[in-house]
Amino acid sequence: MSDLNLTDNKFIQFHQKIGFKFDGVKYYGYKGDTIASALLRNNLKLIGRSFKYHRPRGFYTCGIEEPNALVQIISEYSEPNTRATIKKIYEGMEIESQNRWPSLETDIGSINNIFSPVFPAGFYYKTFMGPHKNFWKKIYEPIIRKAAGLGKPPKEFKAVSTHLHHNVDITIVGGGLNGLIAAKSLIDTKYSVLLIDFDDQLGGILNNSNKVLSVNNQTPMDWISETVKEIENSKNIKILKNTLVTTYNYINHLIAVEDKFVGSRPLKDKVNSTLHKIRTDQVILCNGHIERFLSFQNNDLPGIMLCSSFEKYMCRYGVIPSKETVVFSNNSNSESLVFSLIKKGFKPKAYIDSRSGENIEPDLFDLIRKNDIPLYTNSQIKGAYGNKKLQKILVEDSSGGVNEIKTDFLCLSGGINPDVHLFTQSKGLLDWDEKDLTYKPAQAFQPTITLGSASGQFDFNAINKEINEKLVIFGIKPVQIKLELNTSHKFKIEKLWEVLPQKQTIWSKSFIDLQNDVTTKDIRQAISEGFDRIEHLKRYTTNSMGTDQGKISSINALGIVSDLLDKKVNEVGTTIYRPPYAPLSFAAIAGRNSYEYYDPERKSPIHNWHITNGAVFEDVGQWKRPWYFPINKDETMDEAVQRESKNVRENAGVLDGSTLGKIEIKGKDALAFMNLIYTNSFSKMKPGTSRYALMLGEDGMVKDDGIICKISDEHFIATTTTGGAATVLGCMEEYAQTEWPNLNVYMNSITEQYATFNISGPKTRNIIEKVFPEVNFSNEAFPFMTFQFHEYEDTPIRILRASFTGEMGYEIYVPSNQAVKIWEKIISFGKEFGLMPYGTETMHLLRAEKGYIIVGQDTDGSITPLDLGLDWIIGKSKKDFLGKRSLIRSDTVRKDRKQLVGILPTNKNEKLEEGQHIILDKEIKTPTPMLGHITSCYQSPTLGHNFALAVIKNGQSLIGTKAFASTPELKTIEVEIVEPIFYDKENTKLAS
Amino acid sequence: MLIIDCPYCGPRDQSEFSNGGEAHVKRPDGSADIGDREWGEYVFIRANPKGIFYERWVHSHGCRKWFNCVRDTSTDEILKIYKIDEERPKLDSFKNNVKTPSGEPNLGSGNFTVKK
Repeated sequence: MSDLNLTDNKFIQFHQKIGFKFDGVKYYGYKGDTIASALLRNNLKLIGRSFKYHRPRGFYTCGIEEPNALVQIISEYSEPNTRATIKKIYEGMEIESQNRWPSLETDIGSINNIFSPVFPAGFYYKTFMGPHKNFWKKIYEPIIRKAAGLGKPPKEFKAVSTHLHHNVDITIVGGGLNGLIAAKSLIDTKYSVLLIDFDDQLGGILNNSNKVLSVNNQTPMDWISETVKEIENSKNIKILKNTLVTTYNYINHLIAVEDKFVGSRPLKDKVNSTLHKIRTDQVILCNGHIERFLSFQNNDLPGIMLCSSFEKYMCRYGVIPSKETVVFSNNSNSESLVFSLIKKGFKPKAYIDSRSGENIEPDLFDLIRKNDIPLYTNSQIKGAYGNKKLQKILVEDSSGGVNEIKTDFLCLSGGINPDVHLFTQSKGLLDWDEKDLTYKPAQAFQPTITLGSASGQFDFNAINKEINEKLVIFGIKPVQIKLELNTSHKFKIEKLWEVLPQKQTIWSKSFIDLQNDVTTKDIRQAISEGFDRIEHLKRYTTNSMGTDQGKISSINALGIVSDLLDKKVNEVGTTIYRPPYAPLSFAAIAGRNSYEYYDPERKSPIHNWHITNGAVFEDVGQWKRPWYFPINKDETMDEAVQRESKNVRENAGVLDGSTLGKIEIKGKDALAFMNLIYTNSFSKMKPGTSRYALMLGEDGMVKDDGIICKISDEHFIATTTTGGAATVLGCMEEYAQTEWPNLNVYMNSITEQYATFNISGPKTRNIIEKVFPEVNFSNEAFPFMTFQFHEYEDTPIRILRASFTGEMGYEIYVPSNQAVKIWEKIISFGKEFGLMPYGTETMHLLRAEKGYIIVGQDTDGSITPLDLGLDWIIGKSKKDFLGKRSLIRSDTVRKDRKQLVGILPTNKNEKLEEGQHIILDKEIKTPTPMLGHITSCYQSPTLGHNFALAVIKNGQSLIGTKAFASTPELKTIEVEIVEPIFYDKENTKLAS
Repeated sequence: MLIIDCPYCGPRDQSEFSNGGEAHVKRPDGSADIGDREWGEYVFIRANPKGIFYERWVHSHGCRKWFNCVRDTSTDEILKIYKIDEERPKLDSFKNNVKTPSGEPNLGSGNFTVKK
C-alpha cells in the first residue's frame, strides 16, 4: 500500500496508522484520511453498485459532490448513504458497501444491466400499471424497492444534536482563498463576522491543488497559517470549521451543520452535531466551484475520476490513485493536474484534449511536449471498457482514426461550474455565460455578495479588483494580494457535452447522472416523448434527483438538451436548486426536541400521589391524567372502571380535575365581553352563581364548553376543556383586541395556579362537611351551581357546587402549592364513607350515562348546539355572540342534520363500539345509506348493559325507533334510538 | 423564515408568531337582519392575493398582542407593520413587485431561477 503514498503531504499524519473495516475486511489508513483516500491507498477502486443497473462503481470525486461512493457506517447506528469522499476514518470504524447482494464483487442485481434495454426512462410509469391497482402497492413496489435503492435505514438511533443561534453582521461561506482574503480584510472592523468552512482545514484550492505557487511571496501553506492565526486572534471574527451551510433562506437566514466528531468515533452521551441557525445582514459566498464530467460510453467505470479530484487526492490526502493515468479534457482546468503529476514524477500515460493544439494553453502544451507525453489534440474518448474496472479506452484522433490505449485510470474534466446552489436558494438569478459555458450568479435577491469562482470569476489576476469592488460597502482598506501561479490564470473551455460511441448497441450506456443511473439515451427518449421542458425531463428521467442533486452533471444535461432542441441554454433554463445543499440527518434537525423533550409533559400538582397510588395514566393533550386506579395488579381496566363508577353512584368518588383549563376575565366590560364570547346570557346571573356554557365558532359549531363562575359583572372565571384551554384563551384575546378593542377587558390563564378536585356521589356531603367543618353545605346555604370563597388553614379556596357525573358534587379549587395537603385530607376523611379516587375513564362513563357531552368526542366541529339539543343554552334575546348568525343559516337549520341521541342494544347482552355506523337495514348492502355513528359507548354497571351516544341524521325525530349498528365483520346489531340520557332524567340527584 | 418587527417587542423570529389571515375584514354583528350572503362571506371567504396583502399576526409566544402587517406575498417582503388601531395604509403607498402577466416578480419568486 505504501507505494501510493506521497509522504511529504502535510495534512496526513503518516505516523498515525488507523485500522478500519470495509465489508468485513480490515484495512489501514492514516490520521486525516477520508474513507475514500484510505481505500485508494489500499488500491481499492470498486466501492459500490449503482442504483438501478447495479453497475460497479468507484470513487468519481474527492468531495461532497460524489455521486457513487455512498457507504453505510455500521459503527455509527448504521448510518446509510454517507459520502466516503468526505467522511474521515477513525480506529475501529466499520463500513459496508450498499445496494449489492451477496457481495460487492458478485452482485446478483447486476443482471439488471443485462436487462437494461427494457428499463428505459419512464419504465416504471409505463409498465407497472396493471392488471389491478393493488399490484403496484402489494407486488411491484416492494420488489422494486428491494432491488433498487441506496443504503438500509438504521434500526436504532439516538439523536444527540443541539441547535445554536447566531446573529452576526457578515457571514462568509467558504474559507478558501477568497474567503480568507475577505475575512482578513474585515479583521478589527466594527462588524461581527462568521467564517464557515466545510473542511477541517481552511485554504480550499490552495490545499487541494498546485495552481498557486505563492501568495504575497509566501508559500500557500505559510500564508494560510499566518492568515488563519490573524483571523483567530481578531476580536470580531469567529471561525466554524467542519460546518456545512446547507440552506440559504429568506432574510439571510442560513442553516449550517457542524460535525463535532470528525475523524473520531462519536460518543453516545456527547453532542454529535450542532445545527447553526444564522441570521446575518450580509452573506459573502466564497464557496468555490465544482468540476463537471463528460458523457461517453461506460463513463461510469471504476478508475474514472475528475481531474481536480485526482489532484486533490494527491495534494490534500497524499495518495495517488494511479501512477499512470490518462487525462481527457476540453478546458484549461486539467493543466494543474498535469503539472502536479509531472512534478511528482508520475507523468500521464496520454493527454487527450478535444481542443486543437493552438487552443490549448501554451504552457500546458510545452509541458506535455517537453515530457514526451503522448498528446491527442482535436480528439475525443469514444468509450471506456473493462470488467469491474477500467482496462482500456478508445480515442478518436483528429484524423478520425481510432486508437486503443490500455490504462487502469482516466482523469476527466468537462469544465467547471460556480457552486450556485446557495445563491439560487437565496432566490438570486443566474445567467448563462457562453464563453465559460456555465451558469453564473447574475443578480442577487438578498444582500448577497459572491466572490471568486463562486461568482463565476475564474481569473486569478482579477481577485484583488473583485474583492475591492464588492467589499467597498464595508469601508475596508483595499487589499493587494500578490499571487504567483503554476498554471495559466484564465479559464478557457471549448464546448463538449457528450461523445457518441463508436458502435451503438442496445447495451451502450453513456451516463448523464451516475447516482440515478440516467443515460444520455434516456434524455433523448424523454425529449422524443415530449418531455422537453427541463422540469418535466428531470422528473421523467430522474436526472439530478439523487442525493448529490447532479452536482457534477446537471449542467451537462442542460447542454445536451439545448443541443437537441436547438435552443440556447438560457432558454432551456435550469431546474430549481432546493435546500439542503447536501443531505443532513434528521437528528441534526430535531436537536434537543427529541425523545422526552419532543413534547413537554404537563403534570397535575398531585401527580406524585397518583403514581404512589398506582394510577394508570392517559395522555390528554400534553397532560398526564390518571386513567383509572387498579386496586391490585390483576385488576383490568374494565374491572377498575366498573368498580370506580359503581362506587361513585353508591358512595362517593374524587377526581383530579386540575388539568381543566381555567381563565380569569376581568375589566369594566367583562360582562359585555362574556355575553359576546359565550352563547349564554350572563346578564341576569347573580354574583356567586355559575352556568354551563358553550363557545361557538363563527360558523355556529360548538368549539368548547365549560362552567362560567360570575364573581361580579367585572370579574369571571371560566373553565375550559383540558385540550381547549390555549385555544379558548387565544380566541378571547383575538376578539378582545381585534373586534371589540373598545371593551375594557383582560384575561389570563390560571390553569396551573389552581388544582381542582371533583368530589361526587351520594355521600359527598358527609365527606366535605368533615373536611371543611366551618362551611355550611346545606341545600339552602349552598345550592346547585353556586360557588363560595373560603379559607382553609390560611389557604384561600373556592368551592363550586357542580357535577359532571349526575350525582351531587362539589369542585374544590385550591392553590397548586397546597394541593397535596388538601387532597390527602379529602382521601383520608372520606375513607369511612367509601370514598375512592377515580380516573378519566370512569368520568367518561358517568357523564355519558347522564348524557353530558365531551367536546371533541361527541362533537367534531360540525355540530351546533341545536344538534345537541341544547337550545336552552342559547341566549336568544342577545343581539350578538360568536356564531349567532350562523345558527339560522340554511345549512344549520336543515332538518336532516346529525343530532345527538342515545343508543341501546335491543338484546341487552350485545356490545356496541365507538365508531360503529348506524344504518336502517338489517342486511348490509353496498352502498348502505349511513345515518351516523356512535361517538361514546360504555358498559354501565348501573344499567347492567351497554349504552351509547351517537350523532345520527334527523336523530331527534327518530327517537323511539329501531335501527342497526354495523360491525367490522359486516354483521348488524339491532339497536333502539332513545333520548341521550340514561340516568336520573329528573335531575333529582344533582340538587339533593 | 421571516423576521417580524412586533410593534410592542421589536424584531423577533417568525417562529414566535402566528398568522391570523386577512386583516380589515369587518365583522357584521350577529343579528338576524344580516343577509346569508353577507354573513357567509364574513365567515368563509378570505382574499389570497399574489402581491400586496394586508394581514394580521399575533405574537403568540411573546406579548400575545395582535397587530397588522402589509406583506408582498410574491416576495415575502414585509412592507409595513402597524398597530391594530392604526389606520390602514393606502395600497398605492407601496411599490407592487408583481409586473409580469403571470404575476411573477422579476426577482425573488420561487417559481424559477432563470428568467428569460
